[in-house]
Formats: sequence, C-alpha cells, structure tokens
Amino acid sequence: MSYQHAEDNWFAAILIGFIALAVLVNIWRARRGKELYIRRIPGLDAIDEAIGRSTELGRPVTMIPGLTAFGVEAVQALTIFKYITKQIARFATPMRLLTANATVYAVAQEAIADAYNEAGRPDLYDPDSVRFLSSEQFAFASGVAGLMQRERVAANFMFGIFYAESLIFAETGNIVGAVQIAGTVSFTQVPFFVAACDYTIIGDEFYATSAYISREPVLLGSMVGQDLAKISFASMIVGGSLISTFLGTDHPIVQLLGKPQGWQPFVEWLSQMLGR
Amino acid sequence: MLFDTTQLVVALLWIAGAFALAIALIPLLGTLPPRGRFALISFVTFIAGLFFAAEFFLPVGEDNKNILTDPFQKMQGSLQVITALSLGLGTYGLVRMHLRNAIQRRPQWGYSLVLLVAFVVMAFFSVWNTMAEKGLFGLKRTPLLENAFTLLFDYTLIQLDATMFSLIAFYIFSAAYRAFRIRSIEASILMFTAMLVMIGIVPLGKLISDSIGLPAVQTAEMRTNPFMLENILYNLRLPQIASWIQETLNAPVQRAIEFGVGIGALAMAIRLWLSLERGIN
Amino acid sequence: MEARSIWERMMQIDRRILYAILAVNIVAALMARVAIEPDIPPPVKRFYDTIEALQPGDMVMVSSTWSAGTLAENQPQFEAVLKHLMRKRVRFTIISFAPPARDISHRLARRLTEDFGYVEGKDWAHFGYAPDIIIAVKGMSEDIVQAIRQDVRRVPIAELEVMKGVKSLKDYKLVVDVTPSDTLTYWISYRPPNLKILYCPTSVMAAEAYTFLDSGQILGMITGAKGAYEYERLLGIVGLGTRFINAIQFSHALIIVFILLGNFAMFMQRRTSAS
Repeated sequence: MSYQHAEDNWFAAILIGFIALAVLVNIWRARRGKELYIRRIPGLDAIDEAIGRSTELGRPVTMIPGLTAFGVEAVQALTIFKYITKQIARFATPMRLLTANATVYAVAQEAIADAYNEAGRPDLYDPDSVRFLSSEQFAFASGVAGLMQRERVAANFMFGIFYAESLIFAETGNIVGAVQIAGTVSFTQVPFFVAACDYTIIGDEFYATSAYISREPVLLGSMVGQDLAKISFASMIVGGSLISTFLGTDHPIVQLLGKPQGWQPFVEWLSQMLGR
Repeated sequence: MLFDTTQLVVALLWIAGAFALAIALIPLLGTLPPRGRFALISFVTFIAGLFFAAEFFLPVGEDNKNILTDPFQKMQGSLQVITALSLGLGTYGLVRMHLRNAIQRRPQWGYSLVLLVAFVVMAFFSVWNTMAEKGLFGLKRTPLLENAFTLLFDYTLIQLDATMFSLIAFYIFSAAYRAFRIRSIEASILMFTAMLVMIGIVPLGKLISDSIGLPAVQTAEMRTNPFMLENILYNLRLPQIASWIQETLNAPVQRAIEFGVGIGALAMAIRLWLSLERGIN
Repeated sequence: MEARSIWERMMQIDRRILYAILAVNIVAALMARVAIEPDIPPPVKRFYDTIEALQPGDMVMVSSTWSAGTLAENQPQFEAVLKHLMRKRVRFTIISFAPPARDISHRLARRLTEDFGYVEGKDWAHFGYAPDIIIAVKGMSEDIVQAIRQDVRRVPIAELEVMKGVKSLKDYKLVVDVTPSDTLTYWISYRPPNLKILYCPTSVMAAEAYTFLDSGQILGMITGAKGAYEYERLLGIVGLGTRFINAIQFSHALIIVFILLGNFAMFMQRRTSAS
C-alpha cells in the first residue's frame, strides 16, 4: 500500500501530528526554564579528547559526512562538524572535511567558514580544507583513504549516512592510528564502526548529539518530546500485542495499529461503539 | 533539430529573469540588519516547508492528487536541477584546487596532475560517447571512440571500483581479528553471534551440522511437537541458528532503532522548518 | 625493551600477513572443485516460487541500480533473475537509478538475452537511467509513456512491441529490485498496491530487509552472491554465484579460525602474565 497522502491512512497522519506536538510542547517547557535530563553518551564526551590528541601530535583531523545527500542527516552532521571546528580553531589544528555530495560541499564551506569566524580565528580558515572528492562511492572512499594515509590523521570523525565504504574509512583510520568516533543512522554499517572505531553513536543518539553538546533548552526539549513519542510507540506495541492475543488479529484496534488500510474499519467500529 | 526554438527562448527568458531577481535580491539582503535577514529566511523556510506539508495533508481526489500535487512534482524536478548545478560547483572546486597544486608544484602535486589528466580524458570520451549514442551534431561511434571508451570504462573504471569494494573483505578480516576478543560480556556476545551467523549462512554450516548428526529436515511431527528432542536438535543446526539470529533477534532490534531514527529525523525536520535549530554554540 | 612473547606477537599479527593469507585462501577456494549443497532458506524459496508462478507474456520490471563496486554480489543475482524470467518467457523491462548502472545492466542484458533468443524492443527493453526514483516510480504508476518517454536506444516507449497492452506499473506483475542501495523503501512506498516486490540486495543491505519480509511487503529475497548460489541451485544452472560460493564460505571459515586463534593467544598471554 503506498502512503503518499494523509488520506491513505489518517492514523499515521495523526501519529505524525502527535510526535510534532510532543516535540513542540517540550521545547516550550524547556524554554520556560524546566530542567531536563539527558544521559551520558561516551562517544560524544570523547570528541574533545580526540581533538586534544590531534593537537599534541600536530596531525590533522578529518571529518567525513559520508554519502549523505543534503537533508536532515547532513544538517545534523554539519552542525556537529561546526562544533568540532570551533574547538579545533582554538588550537589551530589542521582539519579536512571531505564530502561526496556537491550540495553538502557548498553548505559545508559556509558552515566551516562561519565556525572559524565565530571562534574568532577567521585567519585560520583554508578553503581547501573543505573538499568535494567525488560523488561516486568508491572513488570517494579511495580519495579519503589516500588522504588519511598521506596526512597520517590523528582523529577521524564520521557522522552521517554511510554505505559499504564505511569500513574502508574506519580501517584506514585504524591503520594510521587515529582516534575514531562514528555516528550514523545507517543500521547496517553500525557493526563495522563498532569493530573498527573507538566510539560509535547509533541511531537516534546521532540526532541527540547537538542537544548533548550544547545543552540548549530547545534541543533538550526536543529530545524529551522524542522520548515521549517513543514511549507511546512502545505502549502501542505492547497494547496491540495484548489485544491481538486476547481478542484476535481481526480486531479493529489491531487493524488500526498494524494494517495500512486499518483506519476505515476502526472508524466504523468506533462509530458503532459510540452509537450504542 | 536539437531544441525547439520557442521552448529555448522561453527557457532562456526564465533563466535571465531568475538571474535578474537574484542580482536584485543579493544587495537587498545585504542592506537588511541580521535580525531582518533571519526573519526573511525563516519566513521563506516556513513557506517552503508548509508547501510540502500541505501537499501531504490536503485531501485528494479520485486520481490521488490535490491542488498541490502537480506543483510538488515540478518542485522535485527543480531540486534535481539544483543538485546538478551544485555538482558543477563541486567539480569546479576540485579542479581548481588540483590545478593550483600542479601549477605551484605543491607537495604531492604529481597526484594532482594524474587526477587532472584522468578527469579531462574521461570527461572527453564520455561526452563524445553520449553525443555519438544520441546522434547529436552528426557524431557517430567510431572504432577509436569504442576502443577508448571500452578501455576507460570497462577495463579501468569498473575494475577500479570493484577493487575498492574488494578491499572491504580484507579490512573485515583485520577488523574482526582485532576487535572480536573476549574482553567483556558485550564483546563476547558480539563475537559469538558473528561467528554463528558467518558459518551458519554458508553451505559449510549445513555440512558441519550434517556431519555431527543433527536432523537435516523438519518433519510434520516435529512441527506439531516443538519440544520433542529431534525438533530441538534440528533447531540447533547452524543454518537454523543463523536464521533465528537474523530474523528473530536482528529484525526487532532494527525496527526499534528505525523507530528512534524516524522520530529523531521528524523532530529535527520540525526544528529546521520552524527555524528553531540554531546549531551548537 | 622486553622481547614480545609469542602470544603477544600472535595477538598483533601484521595485517599484511593476514591479507596475504586471505588472498591465498580466496584464490585456492576459487580453484577448488568442492561443491556443498546448501540449505535453501525460505526467502530464497519464495523468491523462486514467485517467479516460477509467472505465465508467459507477463510483465516484470527489473530495477537495476548496481554498478561496478558491487559487481561480485549483484551481477550473479541479476544474471540468474534474467535467466529465470527468460526461461518462463516473461516480458521484462529494466530501469536504473544510478548513471553507471545503466550501461552495465544494458550491456549485460544484451549479452544474456542473445542466448535465449530474446529481441530488444520486442521481448524486453531498457528504460535507461532515471535521476529521481520517487518521480520515476510515481510517474510509471500513472503512465509509463509519459514518465519514461523513450528507451535507452532513444526509441519511443509507445513504439516498443514489448509494451503492447502496458500502460503503467499497474499492468506489471512484479518488480525485482537488484540494488546495493536503499531503493527498496521507495518501491514499497510509491508502487501501485498490487505490484509484488522481490529483493536482491548485497549481503550488508539484507539485514534491513527482514522487517519487510516479515510484514509481507517483499515476497522473497536473495542475499548477495551466496543467495545467488542458492537460487542457481533451484534453477539447476551454474552461474557466478556457484563460482564464488567457495571463496565466500572458506573465507568465513578462515576468519573464524583466526578469531579463535586471537582469543586463544589473548588467553595464553593473560595466563603467562599472571604466572
């Protein structure tokens, strides 16, 4: 069943609205001064350590947003890289940001230039430090691997969407002795990062990174809203399992939760129930 | 005829108009104070996002379209154009940097020279080949073109691409040898799971299970009596264990992570749409 | 400086030695004439049965987005699928969503179809490269002629004999997605409701597909070269999957042996240090 409009399944549209509401309400609460808790993410604590190590060794830092096309993941990756660049600017450590997408390259140039400006070191910005290597997966991988080997990078940050080339980056980083922190929403690449990197940030921890580092109320509030949405989803799963166990899988509530065409039967059943 | 004249004129007028608008807007944006610029950008972002959200939520007719569906598809087409333009920008940056390296004889300028030569040669023959395929400007596929394109594409590019992918096999070996050690409970679970799946999914797993005498086939009786010894032994076969790990362990975990990722992406998209995303200070 | 014990040296074998051992193992395995019957997993069986159930003249879309990088995994799948479709005398069209994939799949299809007497334009066609999968699938779901216009040889779609009686994807029975990337979710989201999907991913991407198999959104799946081997066994042919399987399985065995060796060395090193 294709799902191109809300009318195809109103329940899914309502869920989207609920998630949006949860996020916005918690952003509002956070802005009003509510203290919000976020658990420790070891990989993110290690970012400053990795930068410090690079500075001591006098070797560059690489930042790789992977094969991410320009979108939400790319914006998040560039936000993290901007933070890293600001830290790097304090110590004048050389850096390389290597992209495989031309749009991300264009935006990254501006983001990195801004980062150096905000850190008060616009003189350190080198336009050649942000490079577009190739849009082809393995041409990009070979370019990155070659650069990491030639320049003997000391820290390697990989945030974004990755495919098969992820292990080439991670293992090359290992060969040159770099500290590696990877964060990805690409489920299939997580095992490679776990095997080859020092720290791996998985799934929605990737989206939590900006909230974790900045502790900004808007971002923390958004995290809490996301967690509320996840709790609701989990409750629906448990509730749906119990209902389907005791009342059968044809029950309208189960159809609503589990079937794309489940909205109509549920509405009819609800009307009957309310009509009684 | 390469292009229709009327369409060409209309296209050129659109492009000229867009340029004129951009040239007029840029100084105007420069005169605005930072807060004004932010307000304008936030407004444009909101309207653009609203367009896509409205197209999703508005009711549709029998043809599965609403009033915004056709403009939505045109908008996606224009996004492709922007992507194509940005590819030109990326290529320009790449060529500029390596040209400067080669001219100024910077360290490792030899690699830059190789890249530039490869870039020009490949682009030349690729463009020639495409134009010859489409019969543009009277070009035909000559033996020289065919041989050169085959040499560059089939014998060089394809083989290099395949070689890079093959590196992964070696890297997995060294990564697995280094990482899969019994250092902690989690590392041990990772190691044993990986080994079971690796051997279970290939025919060797079946051979090993057969050679130690585990039942090879699940009979109807075994299916109806799951706790009978033969059924338990059947489910201890390496292929069955590997299959169970992939379908029963892996799939739910993946769903859970995908839920989180989806919600996270939606939350981030909302923050971007409403210009609440300020980055990290 | 203390000399390193044998156990320490074993735990930190130079990776070049490991690579050399693996290379020798792969070459030897490729040359070995060892044939081990596989257990056919249910997704592969369902894949085979779905195509086997097709009737002559049925229409199938093959979405081929792979290129040189994943040749070793996707080419065996692509070849086996095309051979099965041609054996069933089914009409098929191919479309690619990556630029290099167009040339690779077109050339391969031309070579394979000659053996089965299939004529391009009459029994099969290649729609070329479509830059945006969402626009392409949505467009093809409404009207293929409008969405695609011409095939890879620049022949108008409406003039192709293979497209007689076919207006849109709704007239297709099946789509087979041979891909190393994330095209599956787009096919699932935007296809016509009754269009069945079969999936041919690389081994790495297969992990993401089990949820779709579970929910019935894809009917069957063959995973990488290993899956192609299992599929070839069902078809009774010897293809690239059969040629590659020994390299795959003996490499897996080698990796496991070395993992165990590394752990044994770590254990012995700890014992030696403790004593």
